[in-house]
Parts: sequence; structure tokens; C-alpha cells
Amino acid sequence: MSEMQLTGVAPRNRKLKTKSTKTKNPKLFIAVCTIPALLLTLVFMIIPTFRAFVMSFTDATGMSDENKFIFLDNYKYMFQDEMFLKALSNTFKLMLVVPVVTLAFGLVLAFLLTQTKLKERGFYRTVFFFPSIISLTVVGIIWSFVFHPNMGILNNILSSIGLDQLTMTWLGDSRTALWCVAVTLIWQAVGYYMVMYIAAIDGISADVFESATIDGAGYFRKLVSITIPLLKEIIGITFVLSLAGTINLSFIVVTIMTGGGPAGGTTVLLHYMYTQGFQNANFGYAMAIAIFTLAFAFVLSFLSRLLTNRAEG
Amino acid sequence: MNIINWITRLFLIVATIVLLYPFVWNLLASFKSNTEFLTDPFSFPQALHLDNYVRAFQKSKMGSYFLNSIFLVVLSTAILVIFVVPIAYVLTRFKFWGSKMILNIYMACIFLQASYIMVPLFIQVNSFGMLDNRGMLGLIYAVLQFPFAIFVLSGFLRSVPRDYEEAAKIDGCGNTGVLVRIIAPLAKPGIVTVCMLAAMGFWNEYPLALVLIQTDSKKTLPVGLANLFEVQRYATDWSALFAALILVLIPTILLYVVGQKQLLQGISAGGIKG
Repeated sequence: MSEMQLTGVAPRNRKLKTKSTKTKNPKLFIAVCTIPALLLTLVFMIIPTFRAFVMSFTDATGMSDENKFIFLDNYKYMFQDEMFLKALSNTFKLMLVVPVVTLAFGLVLAFLLTQTKLKERGFYRTVFFFPSIISLTVVGIIWSFVFHPNMGILNNILSSIGLDQLTMTWLGDSRTALWCVAVTLIWQAVGYYMVMYIAAIDGISADVFESATIDGAGYFRKLVSITIPLLKEIIGITFVLSLAGTINLSFIVVTIMTGGGPAGGTTVLLHYMYTQGFQNANFGYAMAIAIFTLAFAFVLSFLSRLLTNRAEG
Repeated sequence: MNIINWITRLFLIVATIVLLYPFVWNLLASFKSNTEFLTDPFSFPQALHLDNYVRAFQKSKMGSYFLNSIFLVVLSTAILVIFVVPIAYVLTRFKFWGSKMILNIYMACIFLQASYIMVPLFIQVNSFGMLDNRGMLGLIYAVLQFPFAIFVLSGFLRSVPRDYEEAAKIDGCGNTGVLVRIIAPLAKPGIVTVCMLAAMGFWNEYPLALVLIQTDSKKTLPVGLANLFEVQRYATDWSALFAALILVLIPTILLYVVGQKQLLQGISAGGIKG
């Protein structure tokens, strides 16, 4: 840094001229840096959200230009709409299962990779993280083939170990279709959260584990009594992330793997919004669904901010 | 103790198989001819039917989809960097009225994702008359990434020492100069991480590309692929479909191999710093 001290006396004269412009400049500079980005965010994120909110109180459709305010009718209709309730219950089921299983596997894998000091640790980390960077579209298509009744990997494995009677059309059966979606979502996300956990565990001092080993604690004991309590913060954060992610990503998986079928067996909130908006052109109603889902997710984001603030403080 | 090690190894190997086998299967299937596949989907291919890849390219317009996606990724990433670096810099280094509020707004917006505002965005872009416009889609992609990018970059910039800027200012460097000549190079690791994460997202994005682009030749890879899948469900050229899938995976794999460290760092930091 010492080279900076000797940059000479000569520029000082020039500085006298620039000093007065410097006190003006910060404001202009700040404005130039922030206003364009803020404007764009306003136009493409905030205004659409606002528009969705307003439109959800109208009966707007793609057919006519006349929008009448019908206030809460859309929302009232929502809760009597069988399909909506199905979408809600499906989304809810996914949110119960997917985050818990994803994070559990992520945690176990992270623990295994950090605690057992295997040399292949880096290799496994790379491999397990890989599915989460793949386009979810590709994941959906590949897993459609896994579940395929004739060519599928799953049925093939079942018949080769003699469990022929368990083979079925996984995606075509309303009892199993939703869980196939869940498995796909879990499979895709495990590596992502595993990486976060590995970083967090690496942050726990090694001495803590060593003294536990000296005291005779086995792997399982260490996991339960040391790792999990100390990781409470990050588990909380990832849980909320996973909840929000499930709502969001379920749209893509459902659209590609099942199209919402069979008979609404896998339709989720966002997918139903899509069908209402783009297939039925019921814009007003679709917006109501969107706002509902958004409010749902917003509450989650609020929770996550609370957790984050606590973590920093 | 050793037993536990072996159980662990076994578990990890099983996990690896579960997580990788679908890809391997896909890869093998992409080299088989259609009849080969239909007779036995699980055997090793007898010969490398590269014509599958050729058909994937020609029949299904993979070429155009590829180019469209590449165009979008480059455009969106460029827009993202140009807008986000200045605002992240200003939000972390300057204390002015509204700076805290702006930061909070962006934090809250991180969860406002494309899927929720698909419908109103569609209506809005339609009213601009800009539907079916790839440039517009690129702009929207970038803007939707602002919150997360600002979050990561401002976190990163906070840990960059101020000494260099202060020294530069003493030398008479103006704010713009500091931004361009000092901050931008210093923040390169952070910018690279943001770019990689964003580029991945842009390459894989589906909902907006589905809704805002209509003409088939302008569609992006994920949408094109999904259409292909729909069509091929009832047709019989699956091998071309598998080849197409592998083709789509290649850029992602390349980027992963090259940028793995930064990607993983970005995700870890994002998770810990919350």
C-alpha cells in the first residue's frame, strides 16, 4: 500500500477545482447508479405484482376488455372450486414431504462427507451437487422415463428382483403420481442443500468433535448432540428456502411430467393458475390464485428474514 | 469403527448410483437406435448411433433453440452486471436516505419469482407489444435476478477493504473512476460467482420462456425440449430425444467443470450469510 503515499504533490492543485463538484457528485453518482435498476425493478417486478393484486378483484378475462370489480368473489369462488382445493391440497402435501426429506438426506450426506474424512470427499460433493444445476425441464423428462410403465428404470428394477406385481403406471395412477413428483423434486434438490450444510459443518470447530470422541461419543451421538443443535440456524433457513422452492419448482415438474393429471391428481397451485390464465383465459381468477400463492410464499419469506436477522444478530 | 466406514462407503455409493444412473441411462440410450432401445432399454448400445444426434439437431430445430438460449444468457448476464454492480457498490459504500429501505425491498423481492407473476407479466408485455421478443425476455430475465445478485454482491463488497478507494480518491479519482477502475476489478470473484449462478438460471429457465415467446424458431432450449418431449410421447423417435437431452446437458456440464469452485462458494455463502 505504500506506493499510494507518494503519488505526488502536483495533482493537489487540480483537486481545488474538483472539490466543489465532489460535494455535488455523490448525489448525482448515487442517483445514476441506483435509479435505472430501481426503475426496471418497478416496471417488471413491482407493477406486475400490483396489477395481479388489483386484477384479482375483477372478472377480467382474455375475451372481453370490460373488467368489472367483483371484489372478493374470485376468492370466495376459489374456496368452493374443487380443482383449486385439490391444487391446494396437493401443494400442501408436497410441502409437507419434500423439504423434510430433502433436508434430511442433505444433512446426512453432509455429515457423512465431513465426518468420516474419506479421501473421495471432493468427488462425492461434485457428484451429489450435479443434479441440482441441471435444467429442471431435463430432470422432469428423464424422470418421466424412470417412471415409464414399459421402458422405465423403476419398473425394470422391480421386475428384475422379482417384484413384478408392484410394477404400475406410476405417473398415470392418481395414487402415486404426486409422490413421483415429490421424488423428482427431492432428487434434484438434495445436493444443493448438502453443499450448504457441508459449508456450515466445516465452520464448526474441530475441537468440539474431538472432545466428544475422547468422551466416547459415536457417530450417531455426535450427529444428534453436536451437529444438529449447532446447525439450527442454517437448518431453519434452508427449510424455508426449500418450502418456497417446492412451491415454485413444482410448477415446472408438474407441467412437464404430468400436465396436472391424472384428473387433477398432481395439479399444484401455480399450475392451476397457469391453466386458468392461459388455457381458460380467466385472468382475474388466475390472478386471485397467484395472489393467494404469493401471500402464502410471502409469509414464508418473512419468516426467513426473521431467522436471518437472528442469525446475524 | 471400520464397519461404520464401510457402511458409510456403501451408502455413498448407493447414493451416487441413485443420483447419477438416470444420466448414464440417458447417455446410453442416446447412442442406441430406436429399435435397439425398444427391445432392450437397459443394454449397452451395440454401436454408437451418432445419427441420433444429427436427427436431434435437424428435425427438432435444436440449433435454433441452442442459439436462442445462448443469446439470452449472454444478453441477460450482461444487463445484470451493468446494472447490479453500481447499485451494489452504492448501497454498501454510501449512506444516503433510502439506502436501507432499498436494500430491504430487494431482500424481500428475492422470493418474488417468475412463476408467480407469469400472468401479469404476460399481460404487461403484451400491452407493450413486445411479446415474442427475445430481447425483452432477456431484459426481464436480468431484472428478475437483480434482488439475488444485489444480495450476493453487496455481501461480497462489504468484505472488500476500503483502503484502495480512499487512496484513489485522495489522488483525485472521481466516483465513476473508482467504480470502474477499482471496485470492478476487486469485485471480480463476486461478480463471476453471480454471473455463473445467474447464467445457469437463465439457461434453465422455463416458465417465462414458455409464456412470453410464441414462435417456435425463437424458443429457448427448455421450452423446445419440453415440446419435443410432448410430441415424442406418441411418436417413436425417442433416441433423438435422448440425444437432444444430452446435447442440452453438455454446456451445463462444461460450465460446472470449469466454474465448480465459484458456484459452490456462492451457494455456501448464500446459505450461511442467509
